Amino acid sequence: MVVCKTCLSTVIILFLLVAFFSTPSEGKIYLDVYGKSFKKITIGIPYFKSVSAEKSSREMNDVLNKDLDFSGFFIVAPHTLFDKELTDEGIDKKDIQFGKWRSLGVEILCKGTVHQQNGEIVFEGYVYDTLDGSLLLAKRYKTQQTEWRKIIHKFADDIIQILTGEKGIMSSRIIFVSGGRYTKEIYTADIDGHNVQRITRYRSITILPSISPNGKYLAYTSYKEGKPNLFIMNLENNTEIYAERGEGMKFGTSWRGSTLLYSHTVGRKSTIYALDVEKKNKTVIISKDGIFTSPSFSPDGSKMIFVSDMHGGPQIFITDLSTGAIKRLTYAGNYNTSPTFSPKGDLIAFVCSVEGTFEICTMNADGSNQRVLTSGTMNDSPQFSPCGRYILYTSQKGGKHTINLMLINGENKRSLTFTEGSEEQPKFIP
Amino acid sequence: MKHIPILFIALIFISLLVFHGCAPKVVQLEQPGSPPSTSQMQADSEKARQAKLLEEELARKEERERALKEAMKTSLFHDILFDYDSYAIKTENIPKLNAIAQWLKQYNDVRIVVEGHCDERGTIEYNLVLGQKRAEAVKDYLEKSGIQERRIKTISYGKEMPVDPGHTEEAWAKNRRAHFRIE
Repeated sequence: MVVCKTCLSTVIILFLLVAFFSTPSEGKIYLDVYGKSFKKITIGIPYFKSVSAEKSSREMNDVLNKDLDFSGFFIVAPHTLFDKELTDEGIDKKDIQFGKWRSLGVEILCKGTVHQQNGEIVFEGYVYDTLDGSLLLAKRYKTQQTEWRKIIHKFADDIIQILTGEKGIMSSRIIFVSGGRYTKEIYTADIDGHNVQRITRYRSITILPSISPNGKYLAYTSYKEGKPNLFIMNLENNTEIYAERGEGMKFGTSWRGSTLLYSHTVGRKSTIYALDVEKKNKTVIISKDGIFTSPSFSPDGSKMIFVSDMHGGPQIFITDLSTGAIKRLTYAGNYNTSPTFSPKGDLIAFVCSVEGTFEICTMNADGSNQRVLTSGTMNDSPQFSPCGRYILYTSQKGGKHTINLMLINGENKRSLTFTEGSEEQPKFIP
Repeated sequence: MKHIPILFIALIFISLLVFHGCAPKVVQLEQPGSPPSTSQMQADSEKARQAKLLEEELARKEERERALKEAMKTSLFHDILFDYDSYAIKTENIPKLNAIAQWLKQYNDVRIVVEGHCDERGTIEYNLVLGQKRAEAVKDYLEKSGIQERRIKTISYGKEMPVDPGHTEEAWAKNRRAHFRIE
C-alpha cells in the first residue's frame, strides 16, 4: 500500500520544472469550456527532436497526442498531414513556417526535444500560436527514465492550462473499486491506467471509497467482519483510525476538511452524521424514519444535499445546515439519487431513471436546468473532477462495470481501464 | 455411555500428570496405582456428571441443528420477494411470515439473520439502504408477531449478492428478496 499523496509529492520533486522563457500571451483564453458548446482547437504535434532517445521520443509524442485528444478540447492533427519539410523543421520561432501550418488548419503548434542527461530524461516543450507565431509556453521537464509518462502528462496539463485557463487532468490519480461477484477491493491508479495499486486486501466486499480533500483519510465500507461496517484509514501510516460497527447499513459519501458525511440506516430510522475525524466529534444532521442517505456537502459547507424516500421514490433534497430547512430539488421521474456537488458549487451531478435506464444528469444547485448526459442501460456514481470540467462515472454493460469520463456537457465520453476486473465507484484523488 | 466415567477419570489423571510435569517439582506426585482420596472421587463423579450433561446437550444441539437445516430447506424459509424500489411487505407474504414467526416460537432459542437484497437496477448507494429497509421490514413484522428483537439480525447486501446474475425481469424479481439464515 503506497500513499498517493507522498507518491505525488515525490513526483513533483522529481520533475524539477524549469521555465526558461517567459510566457508572452498570458491572459488570453483560447477555449472557453464553460460555454454551452465550444469549437475544439486543432493542435499539431510533429515528432519531437531527439538525441539518443528516439524510441522514448516516439512514445512520448504518442502519449501527448493521446492526452490532448482525451482532454476533449483538441483535434489532434494526424502526422500524415505534415510533409517532410514541416516534420524536419526546427523548434525555434525563426525556423517555423507558421503560414504553412496555418494552411493545414493547425491553430496551435507544439514542438519538443528529448535527450538524456546523467541517466535522466529531459524534455523541452514549446507551444506556439500559428496565427502570429507567438510563443505561448516553453518549459523543461526532467525525470527518471521510467517516469517519462508523468512529464508528458504534466506538459499536457500545462498546455491545457495555457489554452483554457485551468490545468488539465492527465496527471490525476483515481480511486476505484475492482473485483468480481462477492469480492471487491479498493485500488488507485493514474488516470491513464498505469501505476495501479491495491489499497485493500480483505477478500470480501469492500466498497464506496471516499478520500478527504487533503488526501490523508480514506473512508470505505467493508463486509470483512461479516457485516457492512464503516472504516476510516489514515493513508499516511495505513492505520485504521475509526470504525463504526453498529448494526445496520452505514457508508460515507462526502468529505469537507476532516469531516466525513455518512448515513446510517437501522431499524425504522436513517441518520446522517457529520464526523470530524481530527476533533473526534460526531454530530447528527438528520435523524428520521425512512431513507435518508447519500449526503454531500456544498463546497462552502453551508448546505447539504441528500436522498430520501419521504415522498415515495428516491428524490434529492437540499438542507441549509444553519436553519435545518429542507427543500426538494428533483421532481422529474420517480428515481433521482447519488447527488454530488461540483467543486464550485454551481452544479449537482446525480443519477436519474429514464424509462427503465439509469442516466448521469446535472442540474443547477437550485434544481433548475436538469440535463441528461448519458444514454445507456445503467450508469452510476457520478463525481466531478477537482477542476469541475469533467464527470467520472460508472457504466454497466451486461455484468461488467466500466469507469468512464466525460465533459460536464456530456461530450467526449471516454472509457478508462485499470485492472482486469469489473471497475466501478471512481473518484479523483485530491 | 457407561465407559465415559472411566475414560474421564483416566483423562483427569493424564491431565494431572501433564500439569505436574510442567510445574516446579515441589509437589509430590500421587502414585498411579494408589487409590484416590474420597474428595478426589467426589470431584471426579461431579465432573463425570457434568460431562454427561454436556454430552446430552451436544446431542440435543445436533438434533436441533438437523431440524433447523431441514426447516431452512423447506418452503418455510424461502426468500420473501419485494416489488421494484419497494420495501413494503406484500400481502401474499403475510402467511409465510406468520409461519416463520410460529416456527421461531417453537424453537425459541434460535437466532436468525435476515438479509436484504436488491436487483441490479439503480444506484449502489440507494440499493444498500433499500436492502437494509427490506430486512428491517421483515424483522419488524416478526417482532410484532412476538419474536424478541435480539433474536433477529439484519444485514443488507444491496445489489452485491444477486441470487440470479441474469439481467432479465425474471432474474430481477428473484433478486429483490429478504433471505433467511440461522445465526
